[in-house]
Amino acid sequence: MSLLGRVNATDEAAGSDDVALRVDHVSKTFRVHHERANSLKAFVASGGRNRYDDFYALRDVSLEVRTGEALGIIGHNGSGKSTLLKCMAQILTPNEGEIVVNKRMAALLELGAGFHPELSGRDNVFLNAAILGMARKEIEERFDAIVAFSGLEEFIDSPVKTYSSGMYVRLAFAVAINVDPELLLIDEILAVGDVTFQQKCMEKFVELREQNRTLVLVTHDTGSVRHFCDRAIWLDHGTIKADGKPADVIDEYTETMLGAEETSQGGAVRRGSGEIWVERVELLVDGVADAPVRTGSKLTIRLHFDTSEVVPNPVFAVQISRLGGAMVCAPSSRDGDAVPESISGKGTVDIDVADLPLLPGPFVLHCEVTGYGRQHIYDHLQNAASFDVLSGNTDEVDGLVTLRPTWQVTGTGVHGKIDKQ
Amino acid sequence: MSLRTAVAHRNLLYLLSLKELRTRYRKSVLGWAWSLLNPISQMIIFTIIFRYVFQRPDPVGDPSGLETFPLYFLAGLLPFQFFSISVTAAIASVEGGASLIKKVAFPHEHLVLSIIVAQFVTLLIELAVLSVAFLLFGHMVLPWLAPMLLLMCLVAMFTIGVALMLSAANVFFHDINYLWGIVAQLLFYSSPIIFVAEEIQIAWLRAITNYGPTGSFVRAAQEIMYDGQMPSLARWAQVAFYSIVMFALGSWTFNRLSPRFAEEL
Repeated sequence: MSLLGRVNATDEAAGSDDVALRVDHVSKTFRVHHERANSLKAFVASGGRNRYDDFYALRDVSLEVRTGEALGIIGHNGSGKSTLLKCMAQILTPNEGEIVVNKRMAALLELGAGFHPELSGRDNVFLNAAILGMARKEIEERFDAIVAFSGLEEFIDSPVKTYSSGMYVRLAFAVAINVDPELLLIDEILAVGDVTFQQKCMEKFVELREQNRTLVLVTHDTGSVRHFCDRAIWLDHGTIKADGKPADVIDEYTETMLGAEETSQGGAVRRGSGEIWVERVELLVDGVADAPVRTGSKLTIRLHFDTSEVVPNPVFAVQISRLGGAMVCAPSSRDGDAVPESISGKGTVDIDVADLPLLPGPFVLHCEVTGYGRQHIYDHLQNAASFDVLSGNTDEVDGLVTLRPTWQVTGTGVHGKIDKQ
Repeated sequence: MSLRTAVAHRNLLYLLSLKELRTRYRKSVLGWAWSLLNPISQMIIFTIIFRYVFQRPDPVGDPSGLETFPLYFLAGLLPFQFFSISVTAAIASVEGGASLIKKVAFPHEHLVLSIIVAQFVTLLIELAVLSVAFLLFGHMVLPWLAPMLLLMCLVAMFTIGVALMLSAANVFFHDINYLWGIVAQLLFYSSPIIFVAEEIQIAWLRAITNYGPTGSFVRAAQEIMYDGQMPSLARWAQVAFYSIVMFALGSWTFNRLSPRFAEEL
């Protein structure tokens, strides 16, 4: 029933002491009502029976989370990942199977649970922490740390209704993160607050990891699983589809998702004077279309163009950006010294990349045909293509590109080298 | 079960009750005065009806010798109102706690218990004010406050039982909310608050008012506070019986249903 009362729940299974949480053949069904009898009249009229179908949100799921592990659970909407997290958090009760929690657990499914706008920040900290399962003494001990973490010292005695939404989230997160659990369940709330606060949160997570705390993270964001977790589980239609190293699981997941979506032309926006235009963009890996793009791939970006008249010295350019983020590069055929005197009719432009330096993540490609001065725009195709880079020939994950670095550690006291882990 | 988790999480219960008390009347000008104004206004209305519309003589307290309908009325009304308001608020608190129940694992009964703790504090304040009124009318009520407190604890137990049962049932059948409005009225008029049970001529009607679940504790409260006499052992047994049965029934129902709250709300 309680969050913290579970610490000694099971010490029967000897040898499982490094298992923080065990999910044992868990199934969870929800009733899909045809005619929902949630009034007495309907209930009585149907003779005390509700007509419903059982919908399996989870079907016979088993897994073990080991102490010190950071597990990321991914999956599309309706895959059952949130249901699994809620079962782990003891919010939902499984229909079959059992969940054994061996550690002091806290679940962050919502920030500021039970916050009351009329109460002061101080009162809300105490209330929220108590709801999350902390004892009064613990709250008193950590109160200063919580307030310091939130950075709201001046406002702590004002009613929460006077807070901005940013302040509200900061206070809520400060409480949540200071519950100090051995096992922390998180439901995609990592991306809160401003950049400095996010930085603080990430530091806190890293600190928790260093302290050998166990983390379970449910999210859409494959990026944070890649960066943050050392194991990933892909949940699909209530069953575990893949379980293993984040890079492998996410690649498999992304490939399937891409296959499901086809190559969508939707979202492309075109402008320009139109004497020459890019019909479509093809991405070829080792000369093969629609193959997965990986770091280190031999990639060809092929632009298919068509013209309505003779166009003098046209310049082709592409721009590659992180989806919804920074531009990575914008090479043009002028920089590449490949501008023809004139073009008419149809043709293709190949941009060859021998060893793709992009790191795993979603990217988007825009392309453009301009005059030699780059001022006149014949054609601009925004979002001409989007693609996911999967992990390839480097272990780097943070950032957008790899510099292909080589490392040397020198010094009089430097001895030997350990094997890669 | 209910009681054990309540003790284990008494800090949460304490803070939720405190929140309940602090946020009540927050945006009103008169604030806490409302908790007294409500029974006083009812007292005025029913006194006018009793004395001038129906022209009944004020009940005589035996052996206190009091002959003041307003005091008789309040001695019965305050415990009853504690009961009825608590149940109404408890039903709303579980329904209103949906977002919390769906997102956090915590003992759900604390939503209900915190309401009743807060209402009990209000009741004690109201009874203190009523005691002053009794003293002003020359009735030495102070020695009677100890048995009254014991009685109120039994009433609280009864209230917890009913509140747990109905608030849990309401998650599955929202009609409970509306049905309770009618039942509360029925209980109010079937308890001897605005009339005197002994004056009822029809035997079975008199029995209902005297021995019904709310009538029992209303009578006991009137005997203690207004009449100034110890209720009979039979009366105590009656009140305790209703309290224990409802408490057990309510806890059992709530514990059975609460694991499914998160998916039903």
